[in-house]
Amino acid sequence: MSAVIDTHGHAHDHGHGGHPGGYGGIMRWITTTNHKDIGTMYLWFSFAMFSVGGVMAMLIRAELFSPGLQIVNPDFFNQLTTMHGLIMVFGAIMPAFVGFANWLIPMQIGAPDMAFARMNNWSFWILPFAASLLIISFFVPGGAPGVGWTMYAPLTVQMGVGMDLTIFAVHLLGMSSIMGSINIVTTILNMRAPGMTLMRMPLFCWTWLITGYLLIAVMPVLAGAVTMTLTDRHFGTSFFNAAGGGDPVLYQHIFWFFGHPEVYIIALPAFGVVSQVIPAFSRKPLFGYASMVYATSAIAILSFIVWAHHMYTVGMPVTGQLFFMYATTLIAVPTGVKVFNWVATMWKGSLTFETPMLFACGFLFLFTLGGFTGLVLSLVPIDIQLHDTYYVVAHFHYVMVAGALFAAFAGIYFWLPKWTGKMYNEKLGQIHFWLTMIFFNITFFVQHFAGLAGMPRRIPDYPLQFETWNKISSIGAFGMGLSQLVFLYAVVQCIRSGAKAPDKPWEGADSLEWTHLPTPVPYHTFDPQPDLR
Amino acid sequence: MAAVSRNAKTGLILASIALAWFVGVIVKYWIMGR
Repeated sequence: MSAVIDTHGHAHDHGHGGHPGGYGGIMRWITTTNHKDIGTMYLWFSFAMFSVGGVMAMLIRAELFSPGLQIVNPDFFNQLTTMHGLIMVFGAIMPAFVGFANWLIPMQIGAPDMAFARMNNWSFWILPFAASLLIISFFVPGGAPGVGWTMYAPLTVQMGVGMDLTIFAVHLLGMSSIMGSINIVTTILNMRAPGMTLMRMPLFCWTWLITGYLLIAVMPVLAGAVTMTLTDRHFGTSFFNAAGGGDPVLYQHIFWFFGHPEVYIIALPAFGVVSQVIPAFSRKPLFGYASMVYATSAIAILSFIVWAHHMYTVGMPVTGQLFFMYATTLIAVPTGVKVFNWVATMWKGSLTFETPMLFACGFLFLFTLGGFTGLVLSLVPIDIQLHDTYYVVAHFHYVMVAGALFAAFAGIYFWLPKWTGKMYNEKLGQIHFWLTMIFFNITFFVQHFAGLAGMPRRIPDYPLQFETWNKISSIGAFGMGLSQLVFLYAVVQCIRSGAKAPDKPWEGADSLEWTHLPTPVPYHTFDPQPDLR
Repeated sequence: MAAVSRNAKTGLILASIALAWFVGVIVKYWIMGR
């Protein structure tokens, strides 16, 4: 399943390479310090977690197919929604973009590898243990925690041992993310090739540089929050436990101080991928490169001052609501700059619509829709009506799935030839796109209507009036789930029997991995570094 | 060698920031109350 080949041989195995010349078989993957191997493992791990989280989504939608209780009991339903959220956010989407970062950042800045190659290995191998803890929590007494992915107090204080496993898993996931971020930021700051100035970097590297800073700033806050939850549970403190004089709302403030930047931790690398794909298939340079960098920075900075828009209904002064409402609507400005620039890049371009471009256009259309519903929800009077309804569920799935996941698919199809040395089947890719696009909208667009009609989220049963929307949504979800088998088939077929890819299969691609490296890329790249002055 | 120590320095600064946030958020609500 190796995605790269060795063109240097054993003589060049020095420094960061665990292979070749190191271990073979499974030990190669356990001991590897090569950024490409680690990137590949991140991407496969992400797909595995995507499948696990997807099965949970199917169970949720199967239960919601009809009113009443059919398949799972309410407690298990809550466990499913909790683990679906945690696994998709921390196990699927974030590792997917760390996989992209590992593969691409050294190649795009002209570095031989990541700055801390051994720590890179450790960052990855923490993840399977953390994911195992999350999954094992289903099988301990009391089952997995049914507290929602936000892990709000005081429910978290009352849950069984599954909550402890989840807290430990979040600690591990946080450690992995922080180590990964330190590695990425250090690599970008210190290891760029001569002449690769910050403002010459591909936008994907810029988005990851900013995401790295965000992660370093907010993951420790989440770790602190769950640590306080742990001490509330076992060591007699009362940070969040009202029974002991603590404040459950304090937890919400701390969580969302992490949680809102987390949305951009997921979205910014997706913006970076799309900013590589759209210019390549428009055969034009990215419109407004500098403004894209500044807009990305502005989004990151603003993300720190909007957290309480998730909490309008828990009670806060009107001035507080106004502040968070205006700050949230302000984010639409830099985000609008980005959307404008992507469209302007396509304007009068020599456009073609291969699979990566289709997914990028799907992202552009649907993410903008998710952004608009975000604006709707940022308005206090409307949010008070829509809080905790399916409108919110629809909104964040347009951002997370149509935003992050579509961008990830665009990136995978875009770089697959460079990673594997082989071309994917274009027809399969297009089938995958259209099936995903259609079923995604069938699943989630109708949820706006269910939410507007008042259907609450996180419930296994509902009144008859919501049945039609839920039936449509569940049919869409099953279709979308099955459509991903086409993706798996397309990737496996590409690796096993794809046609040989040229060095630069995309005419408009212009970053270093396309212009300075053969396809497939050798195991060790840029040793010595290219001089770009 | 110079590159290694520069990387280590950057890494340590970033790790210190992360550690300070982690300890800081707990200390703020533990020692200082709310």
